[in-house]
Amino acid sequence: MKKIILLFILFVSTFSYAQTTGSIVGKLIDKEYNNEPLAFANILIKGTTKGTTSDIDGLYGFENLTPGTYTLVFSFVGYETQEINAQVVAGKVTEINVPMGASAASLDEVVITTTTKRESETALLLEQKKAVEIKQSIGAEELSRKGVSDAAGAVSKISGISKQEGSSNVYVRGLGDRYLNTTLNGLSLPSNNVNKKNIDLNLFSTDIIENVSVSKAYSSKFYGDFSAGNVDIKSKDYTGNGFLELTAGSGFNTNAIGKNFVRSEGTGFFGYYGRYAHNPFAIILSHGIDPVDAGTPININYGGSAGKSFNFKNDSKLSLFLTGSFENGYEYRKGSAVDYTLTEKKAFDAAEEYEYSTNSTVMGSAIYRIDDKNKLKFTSLFINNSSDVVGYFGIDGTGRSRDAQQDTQKGFYQMNVQFDQTQMTINQLEGSHTSGKFDVDWGVGYNLVHSKQPDRKRITLENYQYALDNDPNTNPTFYNNVDYDNQRYFQNITDEEINSRLNLAYNLSDQVKINFGYDGKHKTRDFNNIRYGYQIVDTKYPVTDVTNFNDIFSLDNLRINPNDNTGIYQIKVFNPIPGLNNVNRPGLPENTYKGVLNVYAGYANAEIKAGDKWLFVPGIRFENIEQNISYDVINLGNKGVDAVNTTSTIFLPSLNIKYAINDDQNLRFTASQTVSLPEFKEAAPFVYENVSSSIGGNPDILGATGANLVNINNTAYSKIYNIDLKYEWFFSKSELLSISAFTKQIKDPINLVVGADATGTQRYFRTGDKANIYGVELEIRKNLITTDDDDAKLSIGFNGTYMKTTQNLYDQIVGTRFNLSFNKSKDKLQGASPFLLNADIQYAPVFNNYKPTGTLVFSYFADRIDALGSGDLGNIVEKGVPTLDFVWKNNLLKNKLEINLSAKNLLNPTIKYVRQATIGDVVVTSANGKGISNYKRGMDVGLQLKYKF
Amino acid sequence: MMKNNLFLGLAMITLLFSSCTTDNTADIVINDNSVTNNTGGGGETTKPLVYLSGTMSSNLTLSSDNQYILNGPLIMEAGTTLTIPAGMTVKAEATGASVYIAISQGAKIIAEGTADKPIVLTSNAANPVAGNWGGLILLGKAPVNSVTGTQTSTSEIGSLPYGGTDAADSSGSLKYVRLEYSGGAASGSSENNGFSFYGVGSGTVVDYIESYEGKDDGAEFFGGTVNVSHYVAVNNHDDSIDWTEGFSGSITDAYVKHGPDHDKGIEADGYNTDYSHAAAFWSNPTLTNITIIGNGSSTGGEAVRLRVGTKASLNNLYIKGFDKGFGIHGDAGDNPTGAWVLDGSLHATDVTFDDVTNKLDNQTTETFTVTDLVTNDGGATQTDVATWGAGWTRIE
Repeated sequence: MKKIILLFILFVSTFSYAQTTGSIVGKLIDKEYNNEPLAFANILIKGTTKGTTSDIDGLYGFENLTPGTYTLVFSFVGYETQEINAQVVAGKVTEINVPMGASAASLDEVVITTTTKRESETALLLEQKKAVEIKQSIGAEELSRKGVSDAAGAVSKISGISKQEGSSNVYVRGLGDRYLNTTLNGLSLPSNNVNKKNIDLNLFSTDIIENVSVSKAYSSKFYGDFSAGNVDIKSKDYTGNGFLELTAGSGFNTNAIGKNFVRSEGTGFFGYYGRYAHNPFAIILSHGIDPVDAGTPININYGGSAGKSFNFKNDSKLSLFLTGSFENGYEYRKGSAVDYTLTEKKAFDAAEEYEYSTNSTVMGSAIYRIDDKNKLKFTSLFINNSSDVVGYFGIDGTGRSRDAQQDTQKGFYQMNVQFDQTQMTINQLEGSHTSGKFDVDWGVGYNLVHSKQPDRKRITLENYQYALDNDPNTNPTFYNNVDYDNQRYFQNITDEEINSRLNLAYNLSDQVKINFGYDGKHKTRDFNNIRYGYQIVDTKYPVTDVTNFNDIFSLDNLRINPNDNTGIYQIKVFNPIPGLNNVNRPGLPENTYKGVLNVYAGYANAEIKAGDKWLFVPGIRFENIEQNISYDVINLGNKGVDAVNTTSTIFLPSLNIKYAINDDQNLRFTASQTVSLPEFKEAAPFVYENVSSSIGGNPDILGATGANLVNINNTAYSKIYNIDLKYEWFFSKSELLSISAFTKQIKDPINLVVGADATGTQRYFRTGDKANIYGVELEIRKNLITTDDDDAKLSIGFNGTYMKTTQNLYDQIVGTRFNLSFNKSKDKLQGASPFLLNADIQYAPVFNNYKPTGTLVFSYFADRIDALGSGDLGNIVEKGVPTLDFVWKNNLLKNKLEINLSAKNLLNPTIKYVRQATIGDVVVTSANGKGISNYKRGMDVGLQLKYKF
Repeated sequence: MMKNNLFLGLAMITLLFSSCTTDNTADIVINDNSVTNNTGGGGETTKPLVYLSGTMSSNLTLSSDNQYILNGPLIMEAGTTLTIPAGMTVKAEATGASVYIAISQGAKIIAEGTADKPIVLTSNAANPVAGNWGGLILLGKAPVNSVTGTQTSTSEIGSLPYGGTDAADSSGSLKYVRLEYSGGAASGSSENNGFSFYGVGSGTVVDYIESYEGKDDGAEFFGGTVNVSHYVAVNNHDDSIDWTEGFSGSITDAYVKHGPDHDKGIEADGYNTDYSHAAAFWSNPTLTNITIIGNGSSTGGEAVRLRVGTKASLNNLYIKGFDKGFGIHGDAGDNPTGAWVLDGSLHATDVTFDDVTNKLDNQTTETFTVTDLVTNDGGATQTDVATWGAGWTRIE
């Protein structure tokens, strides 16, 4: 193919200009990228206005040149510019093939730019065009242009992907968290949240992202647990000569500004908690409940990056990159918090939440390029992430609870003070080696995650209207239906994972490449929690100051001796230490579970080129999967201590076909079988209690057999069949049109629904035999006005997804522990919006050295099912939300200084969930969202400075 | 330059991690001179001590030669019978919700005391208080309206199945049984009561029972058809009588007396609003000779809360000492409690309101008055607990 084009150019050149002029042609290859052709590099003839760019295959040509000596300047962003002299002879063609790379050579005019190839939009489009599988990426350049600050924002700019407002949930083609995987540099990433399978992508600030890609079609190199897609974050590395960049910024949220902010006592500005070493019982005796002042709600962020490379003999090179950043944020929400099932259970028409969040990131990478053929990379990443939420529910005195004892129609009030901290360490060592026809890529990783919720405080009052009436004789009292209505809660999760990958590629010929690979991972989770309840023994005790619970729950007011009637409260624990009482004593964890997942996999695939147009990639993957869960939980009586161990062996075939209609257009087809594995939390029957919902696991989803069981399939995974068809047309270097159609069938899908029990707890069930998804996606990127250099001045991007989903529902399920019924036989898939849209428009004029860029980004998802209703319950629906952001970037001082202004969430839409009830839609709170529903998030306004030394 | 960069980087990391949190947490030192730890209230120390807990797959007959301590869930499996002799006191370790007795579907309890020799299930704490232990849970095969046909639902505590199609099912016999200091709960949605009747059938004999100082409800009925006679509920902190999920049995001769901590005398739902009303029938029990004594109208309180579309036939109801007599709650959607008042399927005959400020609090979308709900206002007489409760009850 390449030779044909070259010959064609030669021919044309020869034919047209044979007599009086000469020409130069050649090929650029990319030393940094497996010596593949380097596209879109600039080639200028020095001293003239003549210039061109290399094409997809790295080829370039100048025709009609007057014979003589020319100096050609080859340049590519991030790579060293090279000048080469060429002699043009009339009627002849001079061929100059240039290997391009970042490595230093004895040439002057070295230009160092901010971006590298894999960050540039154009290069990523090219990669997408060349990719063997269906994959979409978004690089640092586009992220920066669209004002995206983290990976979650990044993926939501890709077609078919939406973010859930108010949470870290990402949906790919309507399939949520449990159907996604996240990897860092191709190695599995742990989750930072017991309720999630995927890590919160918000934790990855754009400072450490080179690009984020979403693979929506399976290929055999992925783990078989692949449903909607795999999100891969490529961490930044640096191979240039050295740089130092500092950033600092500040901003505010229009809702938060001016509020007297509060957060948990005992936590720090930087998102740390200093009492993990102590027994929780000692903590509650030593420290109070009341939230403390959180300072002025002005967001700040700062960070820095530095890189340096060292060149050694024999082309070897060591490149170091270090980046660190801190950012915080203040958010204030005011709305309602309602639990409505078939009747109103609890309703706070006026509720507010203060959230203070922090994120600190440090990442270092070291790349040692031994020579052209061997490379090692070590990446170490540490993230500390915290969220400190103080919620007040029923602040107007009209809170209602049907279980209230004083008055069910008013005065119910709750305060929830909750701090969550996740500390995550990720270490990876990767290598790639080439020898003859063999390429070897390998990686090993070790991840450690500590996710903790220390000392969550929950207070429940009745007759709160008396706190507002200025009458000192009437006061609220504590609600004390059970000992844990006023409580302190501690939860610890430790996840540990060792993983590895190895790929051996054998280039059999130009037409055939074969890959063999091995993947393995060993993942464990340890979970424990403990609650201490304040049993109010002086049940009529008047709460005269609702901002001062520290004085009430002081040691002086603890009833130590049960025989005297002094004191206000006792401390209860659920699981006493043997030999000790459960009153006023430390206790043992209430619930514990341990999960183990071992996956050992081998695969083989072949990349077969047939002619110039066709590429076939058949693949097969074999996996051995062990899933074990052992638990000791309350509320299940003598079935509360148990274990489930399963082993599955699966074979997963896949086929990818690419047909190149011409140089700019591809047609792709993929078909594959994959699986979806349950998560630990779905199988462990521990119940987590939110302010207005509770969620628990169900061991039956790992499979069960028994004579009395109904509609329980003895399977530990869901089988999934996937088919994708895609047409793409790259009609210029930065323009694209693509249309795809896809369908999936998920066997034995899992849903979170309220089980048939007396508690209203939501649990995980395999709710039907199958679910089907059909959809189409359209993506357009178009330049409306371009500069003389063919760069976009005014450009638009648009992507949209239209989907239809349906799942079958069993009329009843009888399991080993939990039962379920539906009064409908079908419904849509939870989390699937029928319609998703992302659009952006960018204006980037050039005024000499001043190059501002203004971008307006819009996204929208249509209403979707947030929670499927079982029994007679209606669905909870998440109402569609439009989002509009504006980002204005200014590059000054020859790109050394960047001043960026952003205004986000300009439309400030109301975020709400509703229960579809018989009496109509009722606003409710979602277990998947914030503690408050029916609120506006406010606009975020920010200014950031970035200086490069 | 490189050194400078690295130095800056490290400085930044230091800045990030030198967090300014506060600690000064004290150490725990237990000087235990206040509480006797689980070592019983003294008494029958001469008899051998036997601990009871676990899942029983064969019959268990308690012997009066032993003294028993319940120290965890005691779950009787289908086909087994738990027999407790007259006059026996079983003490439960005071560790809350995880200590209880559950009689599974298909199992039976035979606990037949006499007025002179009642069976007492109580706390083992030296200073017993409400919520010291779980309570007694009976699970049967009688219909519940949250599921249909042979499906079963699952209990709040113990996660045991209940409900079915056998209205005449028998879970055994309870006579002269007094429960004390029970109702320990794990959370607001996983509560033990004194007596929890889950889908218990009419073949079960329940006559002369008391729930004393319960932290939660005195007796809660989750569907079922069981007929209870001679029930005493004293000082229960939540509701003394609670029903839901299509309870359609009866309660005859009940005496309810509130202590300082209480919720309603009766709180009743038509079905389980957390989940389903799959079987279309509603709770519809018959209550006869019910006396509910509150703390006086000036202290507030509501005697009878009927909601979520429950039906009921109430006869000879004596209510004393409440701000509100009846609270009827419903809506125009799934909870037609008000409609049942209008069509007479929720009705009371012979009701006396003694020291009651508001006879009726109508929180439905229908309009009605106390005369629509009550026939013969003032015509009730109190149940004669002094006679039938003599000897075996605690009423102070």
